[in-house]
Amino acid sequence: MKRRDFLKGMVATGAGVAISGGVGTLSKAHAKSKLEDFGEIKSLKVHCISETSWFDNPTLGADIKAAGGINTNQYDVAYNEENLGGYAALVEVEALDGKKTKYLLDTGWSNDWMDYVFEKDGIDKMLQSKEIDTLIISHDHIDHYFALESTLKHQPDIKIYFPGTSMKKSFELLKGADFSATPGCPKNSVPHTGELIVTETNKLYKLQEGAAIVFFDAPATLQVRGENVMYFKIKDKGYVTVTGCCHPGIMTLINHARRNFKDGNNNYGCYGGLHISPFENWDPKMDDLIQGVKAMNMTKIGCNHCTGWIWAEKAAQMGLPIVNGTNKNLSYKKTGTLAQAKTSNVYLGNGDDIVF
Amino acid sequence: MSSNNATENWIATRELSPRWSVGLSGLANLVVHVIAVFVIWWIFFSNAGIFKLYTPLLGFSLVIWTLLIILWQAELFDFWPFSRGFIRDGNPLAKGAALTGVTIAVYLILIIGLVFFFLGKYGVTYFNWNSLMLYGEFGQDPTSTRETASWAMLSLSVPFFLISTWFMFGVGKDLFPELNQPRRGIAMWGLIAVISIILYLVFFHPHIGSMFYPQQIYTAVPPWWQGIAQTNSAEFSLGILFCSVVGIFYAFHLWDGWPFTIVKKQPWRFIFFAVVSLVFGYIIFRLQLFIFDYLWYEAYIGGQNEANFGWRYSHTVTMANFVLVIAIIQNTFFGQAYTRFPGILRGIIKTVVAIVVGMLFAWAYYRFGPALLGVTQGVSHPSENAAAFLIMVINLLLIQDFFMDGWPGYKLKR
Repeated sequence: MKRRDFLKGMVATGAGVAISGGVGTLSKAHAKSKLEDFGEIKSLKVHCISETSWFDNPTLGADIKAAGGINTNQYDVAYNEENLGGYAALVEVEALDGKKTKYLLDTGWSNDWMDYVFEKDGIDKMLQSKEIDTLIISHDHIDHYFALESTLKHQPDIKIYFPGTSMKKSFELLKGADFSATPGCPKNSVPHTGELIVTETNKLYKLQEGAAIVFFDAPATLQVRGENVMYFKIKDKGYVTVTGCCHPGIMTLINHARRNFKDGNNNYGCYGGLHISPFENWDPKMDDLIQGVKAMNMTKIGCNHCTGWIWAEKAAQMGLPIVNGTNKNLSYKKTGTLAQAKTSNVYLGNGDDIVF
Repeated sequence: MSSNNATENWIATRELSPRWSVGLSGLANLVVHVIAVFVIWWIFFSNAGIFKLYTPLLGFSLVIWTLLIILWQAELFDFWPFSRGFIRDGNPLAKGAALTGVTIAVYLILIIGLVFFFLGKYGVTYFNWNSLMLYGEFGQDPTSTRETASWAMLSLSVPFFLISTWFMFGVGKDLFPELNQPRRGIAMWGLIAVISIILYLVFFHPHIGSMFYPQQIYTAVPPWWQGIAQTNSAEFSLGILFCSVVGIFYAFHLWDGWPFTIVKKQPWRFIFFAVVSLVFGYIIFRLQLFIFDYLWYEAYIGGQNEANFGWRYSHTVTMANFVLVIAIIQNTFFGQAYTRFPGILRGIIKTVVAIVVGMLFAWAYYRFGPALLGVTQGVSHPSENAAAFLIMVINLLLIQDFFMDGWPGYKLKR
């Protein structure tokens, strides 16, 4: 009897299955018999509108610690408002016929900062003209979602993909709500009037040929759960993931493609926060991750935000294809911890582009 | 107060009888215990409570060391410095308060005083979060340093736990029969400490040396177990060693100490105890990993959450503790109800009950824990470790049993 068959029989009678069914948080990662094929695109360009979600790590750490630690509800933490930035990316897809479509991934934290970077990159005008007509909220964390008003004030009826596991207050913010009595918490005076697509686990949301969203019910800090991940299949190259924070883990995303997508073994690259060491601390498991990603033979890794400079630096030293940034971020009105520490340029910073 | 010179430990010789029927007495104890668990959890640990010590590693390191100290008090020092008269005749509540006071005092002196303040300030940076922030640079912020120092203290407790159980139960008074308390306790503790510190340096120090950038290769070798465990994390050692400890307590609470009672003569008893506990621990560890493979597919190098090798190794301890908590409750609160069954049947029934109810307990914890305890939702959440809660529960069970003679449902037989 094979080990797996033996275990199936044993576990089927055990309470372990009861746990997996009842809690509903365990991975259902078993391979599908029919692999998804959502088409191909010609190329993909990602522009980093802002990856500096906050500007000083110890300040944010102290705010969270004072409120009770990383398991506290994100709407109950009083944040130092001078420290707030935001995360957002402009995702430009070139279809096989050459037609280009733009998507906005995330909308940042501080309205002041997001208004500044939107204006700097012309995102405000793209929203007003509906050159961008879709907003993908990766997850409802402070730095990806709280500046919702900065997007909605330019286009209240924008189509939004929103994680189904988002907090009740995050859903309320969509309709217009004010939580700003707590410093650093959001207000939105422009209710959303457009189509709202609430994403669920185990479903693939096709944006266009070669581009899709997959929702992962993954744990995150500050009581946030779940993340929408953008998958692209680039002709003759392979799969690229674009993430806000990548809370499910980059290896989970790669393995999801391998198990569920046609030609899923072709991993070309990734962009975004990889949520490995957002506060620049280290754990031996992060060495495992370098080893794991290296074995996947990716061609381009564009990372920033919550990846942790320390991981990107070590990964680059170990031979991973980390795409270096430029110094455009230094021309912005504020710079973050990494720029101030004059670290090596292994991050794609504010204003940088990556093309797949 | 005086030292006691009895030939047997108090816990081994005392007899408890239920105040009412076994069922009612056990139920009364369970109600008091559950109330105590919620009160203590919400005051000290919960994220929505007052002290918020469940970070989770800070709380975990606290409860694991206090559990160890409780065991030392009862099994190693035989309740010294309290007289046998006080232990025998004292009011259970007064005894509970006094003995728990000693537990807290020892914790403050040994862990906060010696390890955190003294060693952390003058010897080993990573035992003190203030030192990490003072000497560390990038990434050594208030949150991460607290977790690093707590993980170090937690890691230190694991070999102490294993070696303590070997010496407390596999050696007992055989090694220093001529010594009275506290000399015997101190001698045994010294021996335990020497062996535990060596094991800590081999099994855990390389992990902590790899928690910084650049890797601290001149003071700690890179994790040598990577090729065996598929991870650099010491959760591999933690899983096997801790499951070995849990296995010993399974034997005591489910099978009247079998198989550890088979060999009587020293030094074979000690060797048998150590080897069997490691083998048993490895079986508990490996069997769970097979089940996890079935539930969550195979783990892979660099995987996150339930796909991570390290998390799975650590989770074997958590799941084993869900069963252990039920095994202890069953044995201490309702154990006398099983005396009507012959030995083997009794062991089988108790084991089945512990596993089935333990799994239901696990389901209830993950399903209702966020609402009832303020813990974070999700089995593999990075900020969640149910073992912290479970060890706190075991702390309170032992306080109720060892320090309070099973009050209110049970009393000492006169």
